[in-house]
Amino acid sequence: MSMMWLPHDPVLSAALACATLPFLAMAVILIFTRPYQRLSCAISVGAITVCLGSALYLLITLRHAPAPVEYQWAWIISSDMLIPFGFLLDRLSLLMLTIVAVISFLVQVYSIGYMHGDPGFSRYYAFQSLFAWAMMTMVIAPGMLQLYIFWELVGLASYLLIGYYYEKWSASQAGKKAFVMTRLGDIGFFLGIITVLLGFGDLGILHMNHAAQAGDIHPAVVTLGAILIFCGVVGKSAQFPLLTWLPDAMEGPTPVSALLHSATMVAAGVYLMSRIFPFFAASPDAMAVALVIGTITMLLASTMAFVTYDIKQVWAYSTVSQLGFMVMSLAAGGYFAGVFHLTTHAGFKALLFLCSGIFIHEYHTNDMREIGRGGGRKLIIPMVCMTVGALALAGIFPFSGFFSKEAILGVLAAHPNKLFLGAGLLGALMTAYYSFRLIFFILFPRETPEPAHHDEEAHGHGHGSGHGAGHHGHVFWAMAWPVMILATVTLVLGFFQNDLQGYLLGLEPAAHGHDAAEHGGHGPGHYLLLATAVCLAVGGVFFAYLEFGWKKATQEGFLRKFPAVETLFANRWYMDHFYRKALDLCVYCGFTNIFTRNDRRVIDGGIDGICRFTVGGGRAVSFLQSGMLQYNLVLMVTAVGILVLVFAL
Amino acid sequence: MNSLSVYLTVAAVLFSLGLFGVLMRRNLIGMLISIELMLNGANLNFMAFNRFLAPEPAVGQIVALFVMGIAAAEAAIGLSIILALFRRLRSINVERAQRMRG
Amino acid sequence: MSGSFVIDSLAHAVFWVVVGFVFAGAALAVFPRNIVYNVLGLILCLTGVAALFLYLGSFFLALMQLLIYVGAICIAIVFAIMLSRPLHLEVPRRRMPKLAAGIGAAAIFFTAVTTVAWKTAWKPAAERGADWTITTIGHLLLTRYALVFEIISLVLLVAIIGAIVTTGFSRRLSS
Repeated sequence: MSMMWLPHDPVLSAALACATLPFLAMAVILIFTRPYQRLSCAISVGAITVCLGSALYLLITLRHAPAPVEYQWAWIISSDMLIPFGFLLDRLSLLMLTIVAVISFLVQVYSIGYMHGDPGFSRYYAFQSLFAWAMMTMVIAPGMLQLYIFWELVGLASYLLIGYYYEKWSASQAGKKAFVMTRLGDIGFFLGIITVLLGFGDLGILHMNHAAQAGDIHPAVVTLGAILIFCGVVGKSAQFPLLTWLPDAMEGPTPVSALLHSATMVAAGVYLMSRIFPFFAASPDAMAVALVIGTITMLLASTMAFVTYDIKQVWAYSTVSQLGFMVMSLAAGGYFAGVFHLTTHAGFKALLFLCSGIFIHEYHTNDMREIGRGGGRKLIIPMVCMTVGALALAGIFPFSGFFSKEAILGVLAAHPNKLFLGAGLLGALMTAYYSFRLIFFILFPRETPEPAHHDEEAHGHGHGSGHGAGHHGHVFWAMAWPVMILATVTLVLGFFQNDLQGYLLGLEPAAHGHDAAEHGGHGPGHYLLLATAVCLAVGGVFFAYLEFGWKKATQEGFLRKFPAVETLFANRWYMDHFYRKALDLCVYCGFTNIFTRNDRRVIDGGIDGICRFTVGGGRAVSFLQSGMLQYNLVLMVTAVGILVLVFAL
Repeated sequence: MNSLSVYLTVAAVLFSLGLFGVLMRRNLIGMLISIELMLNGANLNFMAFNRFLAPEPAVGQIVALFVMGIAAAEAAIGLSIILALFRRLRSINVERAQRMRG
Repeated sequence: MSGSFVIDSLAHAVFWVVVGFVFAGAALAVFPRNIVYNVLGLILCLTGVAALFLYLGSFFLALMQLLIYVGAICIAIVFAIMLSRPLHLEVPRRRMPKLAAGIGAAAIFFTAVTTVAWKTAWKPAAERGADWTITTIGHLLLTRYALVFEIISLVLLVAIIGAIVTTGFSRRLSS
């Protein structure tokens, strides 16, 4: 691979830029420019800007390409197996690449303000570049093995960034937990890859999809492979039962939560599912399993969001829930709906996290009540943008979330089992409720008697303009611009649904209505569903207003009346307790005991036994050295006699 | 009397008895006596082979003479060693001489 | 002819008596605890061996045996006995393993040697001489086997010097 291609093929250059520049940025920062914070930041942001440009260029150039553009170089060649590495530039991967590039860019710009003054500034940007590199290369991977490798690298970046404040015990624990839990899922993923390799022989994604659709692969292989690969999705996208790492991952800096744990990394699981959607769809059993797990996740996580007062935790549970929603959509056969929701969710969830970040940065607290009391409503830009995001999340017209949720509900309605549609609608209601619970907590705070210094702080922070010109200068605007851009996108993206659908499915924009499963038809049933969803969303908002926003509301929530239920939700349905107990039992009581006993008895005992044997043997044989002449003579004579006998006979 | 094997057997018996004496006796002088027995057994062997098999009878006798001379020298030295050891250990019990134990 | 037969059978009988003396002497030399018995047994045995040398055709060697072994070595041993403390004043504890080991080793060795002796097909040399005279022995000792003669002289010299030195040193050490 020489440098000759550089002027000849701009598409390849763009792809290579995305795949290598952030890595180089990270290497340069870690090795050379660690003490120079501004330089490191510039390198990283510069790299991601170039990547953004390349991604947009690729998207625009290849949007009408009839077939996917693939670049492959042979990597592992072993008898009849060839594993390539390279780039696969088809519609889905380019769309995802753009999403990743845009959000990474916005978050890195935002971090200039948010992480300002932090001692580990360079390290932060190095790891951001690492993440960008890994995520982008994963998105454009042509084969499952390359995808898996970069999937793991993304997990590594997540670990490094969650544990960014490594001096804090909870942060490092959260990083460890995230990595280990996703790793658990990845075991299944890798087994799935092996299944596909053994059963099909080729790990190329396009080839896999095509063969699965044509029915060339044995159905058992497809089902087993799909379920095992779905394990990876369960881990990475925080589905039930591996979902508790995501709320803990909020220990990382807020931009990290915005980038990784809402928009891109956790969406990698959903992306994987859509990437091999034909392969998945070839196995109805795997789809059924995925559908059930997605439903459970969505409902479970929503309930957990009802009772938490931490602003980031609400959005974390919301992310889990929305990911479950996306998985539901894909598992019910709604390819475009799932991808569309992925796109819009990336936009408004990142927006919500970034706005929360501004609040946290101002008030140095995650508690929504304190933010409200501190005068959060007075920060106009974050407040407005957060409300925009929450409206999108709740699925209110005309924000993007409305369109994508409609699409998914349409898919669920087309599914034979209406239970899932019911679950989806219930989920929509719950989503609206908890997101506006947070908004109203901040908008309509309750004044309670506070110690004096809290009031001073509130006054001091509430008026951001009085904090000091330097602070309010570039730091504030670095944080404000990305938020405003994302809010605009959220407002507008929904109206591009048809264009996106046409782009993704390769159809003419006018022909989108043919696929009933995709769009749910345009009959009266469709409008009924639309109306129901809108009513539920508005109803949820109104219910939240009644409980939290109204002047006479107690701001306690209806769950206060069921303390047992509230505790259940607050303890994450005791999942963490269960895992702790299982871990203690299995690992600490079981494996540790076995290994300790093995170490003490078998290994130590073995070595001690050898010692004792040697010493004892020596002692036993030492009688030969009695110093008594006649004993030695006896032995000599016996030996000679025996030798003579042996040779004479 | 006229067969080689008889003499060889007698010589073997002499040698084995001497060997047994060397291994069993605690008295140093007793060991020396047993050694003389062993030498005599060997000498008898030589003479028997000389009588029945050898091409030149004189050569066997010269060898046997040689062995006798060696035996005499060895007895002399052995006795002087025993005397030296006796002066050291005040005893001629061979089991007392265990300086090389271990 | 009958005379030679009688002499032959007489010689045969005496041969076995001599062998008996040899064995008896050897037994006396090894088994009893009394050192004087041992020496006397040795003398008996060596005399018997001298007689056997006669049967084996060498008058010269029989006389040499008596001269050297009985006359010199055994007397030297007697002197040594006189100069040493009697062993029976010590505590004699015979150990079983040692006895068993000794018997075993001797038995094995005896079996080995007799097996070899009986199993081998001993071939006499093609041409056998018949010269048993002392003159020949002396002649050979001074011409062809002169090395033997010289070496034996050397060994005896070294033995004498060694004996003197050994006893001389230890006397100096013990005083």
